[in-house]
Amino acid sequence: MHAVIIGNSAASLSAAEAFRRHDRASELTLVAAEPGPAYSRVLLPYYLRGSIARDRLFVRDRAFYDGLGAHVRFGHAVTRVNDRAWTLTLADGSELAWDRLLVASGARPVLPRVRDLPGTGVHTLWTLEDADRLAPELLPGRRAVFIGSGFVSLQAAWAACLRGLRVTVMEALPRVLPKVLDERASALLEQRMREHGVDVRCAVGIERIERPAGQAGIGAPAAAGAREASALRVVLSCEDPNVDADLVVVGAGVRPDLSFLEGTAVRVEAGGIPVDERMRTSVPGVFAAGDAALGPSVFGEAHTAHALWPTAVEQGRVAGANMAGHDLAYPGSLNMNVAEMFGLTVASMGRFLESGDPAEEAVVEQDPRGGRYLKLLFRGGVPLGGVVLGSPEDLAVLAALRPRIRARREGRLASGQPFRSLHLTLAVQRSRR
Amino acid sequence: MRIVTMDPDSCVACRNCEYACAFKQAQTFERRDSNIRVNFYPEERVCIPGTCVHCEEPWCLEVCPAAAIRRSPDTGAVEIDPERCAGCKMCLLACPFGAIRFDARARVARKCDLCGGDPRCVKFCISGALQYVETEEAFGFRRASFDAHLMQMFGKGDQP
Repeated sequence: MHAVIIGNSAASLSAAEAFRRHDRASELTLVAAEPGPAYSRVLLPYYLRGSIARDRLFVRDRAFYDGLGAHVRFGHAVTRVNDRAWTLTLADGSELAWDRLLVASGARPVLPRVRDLPGTGVHTLWTLEDADRLAPELLPGRRAVFIGSGFVSLQAAWAACLRGLRVTVMEALPRVLPKVLDERASALLEQRMREHGVDVRCAVGIERIERPAGQAGIGAPAAAGAREASALRVVLSCEDPNVDADLVVVGAGVRPDLSFLEGTAVRVEAGGIPVDERMRTSVPGVFAAGDAALGPSVFGEAHTAHALWPTAVEQGRVAGANMAGHDLAYPGSLNMNVAEMFGLTVASMGRFLESGDPAEEAVVEQDPRGGRYLKLLFRGGVPLGGVVLGSPEDLAVLAALRPRIRARREGRLASGQPFRSLHLTLAVQRSRR
Repeated sequence: MRIVTMDPDSCVACRNCEYACAFKQAQTFERRDSNIRVNFYPEERVCIPGTCVHCEEPWCLEVCPAAAIRRSPDTGAVEIDPERCAGCKMCLLACPFGAIRFDARARVARKCDLCGGDPRCVKFCISGALQYVETEEAFGFRRASFDAHLMQMFGKGDQP
């Protein structure tokens, strides 16, 4: 049997390891468009910030693939999959036969529909190549506009701040980090960003990007401190004044590129490949995991897109086991996010926005000075999720709730000192495991 | 392999383990430098020592985006390599036991490494609440304490 894995990141690595745990004999090949070995996309903002060296982005070395007994074909994108002949074609024209196929090819950044957005001076931050292109542009005194206020975008904006750039963040929705934080936490983060000198503009629409005076600019990054005409102008569709910038970074979400599956019977939706709890696609022998897959969630949704590292690791493990013939069902993904931005720890997990259901109860603890904010959402005593802003200490509360959110088990709270009592309850339960 | 077991019924909240750990880890006697933490709730009369149990399938290790968490081939301890750790805090959000802390000065995550096989916390525990035992023994111990808990819940003598 020959198992082929398309991709070389969280889902693929975890799938390869799981496959080998259950099957030591079969042939295993990893194929990826990017040149190997694997690096961690999660760490790219840390590299931009200068908090880790470039070589530490790499999370596997050549010996890892040898140790797994895996063939690697890195640097070759898959251009076509044939699900009748059970083969795939690589960009160099070569063909590869497979018996089990895992599509863990990840996602690509989405560019919002803004006229003249693609072009000189506009960056995304998703691949190592993106980061290598962006890093030398982050020079003190330059003006950077970040379009979108997602996790990656805001971490990059913080990196730009620390490097002495003048930073503007534009968000189409009324608040920053809308998918990760609730309203109050967004407001606190926004306040902190302003304290760091960031020009935060929420609820703005961007009409087009202008490149005044036909800027050439390509391959000629400005010297530090050099005064020059701005390369770009972000023209807004609302009342706000337009913003001049030396560079624009787009962080408006990601979506998988699955064009290589055209012509196959693999069902593909706009957000990815729907899979069941064994990461199987609509074609027997073909699996999908990670950002390319739409898998089940702990909240009972059949097909959810997360584009999160932990979800990719879990789905990869399930896919790899099932590819090796070991029956393993996925209990569903639970979204979790954590990062530091503008000196604040920012994290959330599961569901943390009130839906209006009277059975829901939100428990909030907030430091009046605004340095710390915690919120847990319960329904009928069962935790659904929560938000942490400020202190890494509080991450332990979310972490302790995670198994209870998964198991839909009660996490009791006494009134008065909710978090203290929660800590105690969890601690006692823990000691009695 | 061996792990450190924690018995809340024997713990007297003297915090010697915290001091011993902090001194081993950072040559200080500050609580924040300790990888073991005693939570003391005087009103409920409960004190609970808490440190890493070096899970069989550690989720922190699996989920670390920096591949900074490994299992020591010598002691079996789940260890964080501070050179590789980027300080992303994913492990803090992953560990359901709250056994990982963030070192705000070094900007990395820290956890118990069993002191290379000679855990100082156990050495300096005055009440015997901490024991360094083979995992099989430890699970037997937990089983017994869980059963005791059930018996208490359902009334002594009754079958749970």
